[in-house]
Amino acid sequence: MTIDNLTGYKPTWCPGCGNWGIYTALKNALTKLKLSADKILVSFGIGCSGNMNDFLNAYAIHALHGRSIPMAIGMKIARPDMTVIAVVGDGDCYGEGGNHLLHALRGNHDLTVIVHNNSVYGLTTGQTAPTARQGYRSKSTPLGIIERPLNPLSLALTQGVSFLAQASAGNVVNATEIITQAIKHQGLSLVNFLQPCVTFNKVYTYDYFKQHTYLLERDYNYRDYNLALQKAEEYSQEKFALGVIYQEKRPTYTDYLNKLTQTKKALDYHLLLQEFS
Amino acid sequence: MKFTWKIGGEAGFGIMTTGLIFSKIALRHGYQIHDFVEYPSLIRGGHNTYEVTVSNRPISAPKYTIDLLVCLNEDTYLYHKKRLTPQSWVIYDKEEFELEQNNIVKIDIPFSKILTDLQGAAVMKNMIALGSSLALIGADLKELKKILSEEFSAKSQAVVEFNQSFAEKGYQEVRKRFPSLIKSFLLKQPAPATLALTGNDAFSLASVIAQCGFYCAYPMTPSSSVLTNLASWQDKTGMIVRHSEDEIAVINTALGSAFAGMRSSVGTSGGGFALMVEAISLAGITETPVVIFLAQRPGPATGMPTWTEQGDLLFTIFSGHGEFPKIVLAPGDVEEMLKIAAEAYNLADIYQTPVIILSEMFLSESHQSLAQKTVVDFWQQYQVKRGKLVDKLATVSYKRYQITQDGISPRLIPGVQGYYYQANSYEHLEDGHTTEIGEERKKQVDKRNAKILTYLKQDFCLPKIYGDFAQAELVLVGWGGTKGVLLEAQRILTKKNTPTALIHFTYLYPLDGEKLRPLLTAKKNYLLVENNSTAQLGKLIKMEVGVEIKNKLLKYDGRMFFPEEIVNFAEKKYDN
Repeated sequence: MTIDNLTGYKPTWCPGCGNWGIYTALKNALTKLKLSADKILVSFGIGCSGNMNDFLNAYAIHALHGRSIPMAIGMKIARPDMTVIAVVGDGDCYGEGGNHLLHALRGNHDLTVIVHNNSVYGLTTGQTAPTARQGYRSKSTPLGIIERPLNPLSLALTQGVSFLAQASAGNVVNATEIITQAIKHQGLSLVNFLQPCVTFNKVYTYDYFKQHTYLLERDYNYRDYNLALQKAEEYSQEKFALGVIYQEKRPTYTDYLNKLTQTKKALDYHLLLQEFS
Repeated sequence: MKFTWKIGGEAGFGIMTTGLIFSKIALRHGYQIHDFVEYPSLIRGGHNTYEVTVSNRPISAPKYTIDLLVCLNEDTYLYHKKRLTPQSWVIYDKEEFELEQNNIVKIDIPFSKILTDLQGAAVMKNMIALGSSLALIGADLKELKKILSEEFSAKSQAVVEFNQSFAEKGYQEVRKRFPSLIKSFLLKQPAPATLALTGNDAFSLASVIAQCGFYCAYPMTPSSSVLTNLASWQDKTGMIVRHSEDEIAVINTALGSAFAGMRSSVGTSGGGFALMVEAISLAGITETPVVIFLAQRPGPATGMPTWTEQGDLLFTIFSGHGEFPKIVLAPGDVEEMLKIAAEAYNLADIYQTPVIILSEMFLSESHQSLAQKTVVDFWQQYQVKRGKLVDKLATVSYKRYQITQDGISPRLIPGVQGYYYQANSYEHLEDGHTTEIGEERKKQVDKRNAKILTYLKQDFCLPKIYGDFAQAELVLVGWGGTKGVLLEAQRILTKKNTPTALIHFTYLYPLDGEKLRPLLTAKKNYLLVENNSTAQLGKLIKMEVGVEIKNKLLKYDGRMFFPEEIVNFAEKKYDN
């Protein structure tokens, strides 16, 4: 039942793909937390990231492109006792499913959302993603993308994320620690994973990330919202802090639901029918 | 006895509340009712009406002639004058406008003067009109006072009494000035406890009865009252009711909770359903049970939000890309809505596939009386059937999509210790892993399709036949919420010497063409009646049964049929 126990399905990612690092970090974190395959529910989006569905042992569903978060919300509603994780891509979660992310943040659903952010659509062979830098040339934007990139960190922070972290696929040790904390956090945890697409993105390489990332200082106060906002804004300058950027304690959606289900009385149909006579 | 009361006036002036009070007063006098509302998609302005037909026998449809018309403004009179007879009463205020006809019974009530005298706002006209209406039909004013007390006592006793004083004034006005015109239509008679339910109310109750754990929706007329009903009952039922950010989230959230083992459903209308379609396909391939309540309104796009149509039958049947089984059911009245919708939850679990309940505005928002005992008895005998569920396995591994004879694979609810599996939106092997192997793909397609045959064998219901089919010369064919008017038309035609039967479809898809053929190929005159412009049931019958019904009566102006329209059409068509 352990997460490590691969059942013979070999990952299909390209050699050197950032997904390997994220996958390893996630498995390490689950192992560390003693969360066996039968205790977790995972909802995968569609994309190279979602293909992890075939390799990660869990009660899982490979859902639709962009719709992994609502599905994870449904899972948590039905099974508040289980750990729920959404594994998504940047096009998946920041593009197609952007609306769902906004509203999941409002609700503080107790989920861990792991976003594979490589700024390209790998599975469809390299079109631009909403996180690509302005002017980025790709098959779908040969003249350079006109729009500015989305800043997922500022977006999440200003819309009420209760746990925000950034990790790099190239630093598995650090990423393992971050995912561990994200899963332990009660409320919506968003982990923005910076990762290269070795096949289709020649800009955001391992080297690029080495140069543009730094580990948050030990004494960084992740409870300070204004400080977190500054760190989040750095994302737009292509300066990427790695670590837990923000965390706050506040009631989750599940906490409110528990109140509802605890007040549940034995159902007397007369109570419902009297309003119709 | 059959009696039609109708009130009309400007939107925002309490027409809907007043109409429902009239329906409930009729119920409490021991009568059966059928009502319907007409309103534009506005909160204020425009014209609203509420029409109630009362009978001492079960009643399923409105009737064309209006016996008592309450005109809170001139539009009400102008829109409805063609439906008046020499016996029709018309309540109005001659200070506001005059009625051009003389061959009606005019009941002039000085609304404006009473409002001034008692210092009431314009909305109090309703209460005066209700009082006058009850006086004319010989009803008991005490019932009105009691309902007002129930409605407004939460506000204050003063509000109750204020409303009651206007009703009293309207009542006395008729007693004093028109004593000779009073007819004792609505004398109290003993009757068992009866409820006034809309189709949406019935779906809401069915969801509670079926122990649905999670209902998710985004408000959309005419489905919204299911959301508001179930939300307002949450503290009594424990059902989790969620208003999500959009319909895409709605159905994906429901599929998430359904995958995790909770009975789940969603509700919407055409536009919202269009947004859900991709996820219906997801439910098909992942074999996740979900009940989808679709209350139709005229489209395309925003169409006419507050009016009625049966325009989404084929869209529903063909909804979702790719090929997969789904079940489409269309109850005809509130009792069928209650029972078929509750059954839909079982079918979704048994066949592990989406089940769509089609309603339409006319069924969703019209009240119909139903004996409380019918509801309670059904509630007590209903059994939750969750299909092939497993929680203990003989083997170490579990195959979510195991190939079986009947197409249904045993389902393990996530969370069982010692196991795990994946459900998959991609084509998959028996164990759920993604595959692109041709043979494996075929096996899974065949497995899913096999569920259709299993359903046709185990649970499909042929359309119901009303009237004497053997003797019938004319056979009406229809589906869904037109049932009540079709039944009434069938009765009238038979009484008028055209032996008529009705074939009414509720289990619309999949269909068993072989079993249906004899019903649709007898030596009879068939008349297809649908509230749409393209005869969608006709097309479905042609596709599945290979029979074309040539004669059609189609209505697509957003209004429901009156039984009389169907009778007149049939008589012109078939009488020599």
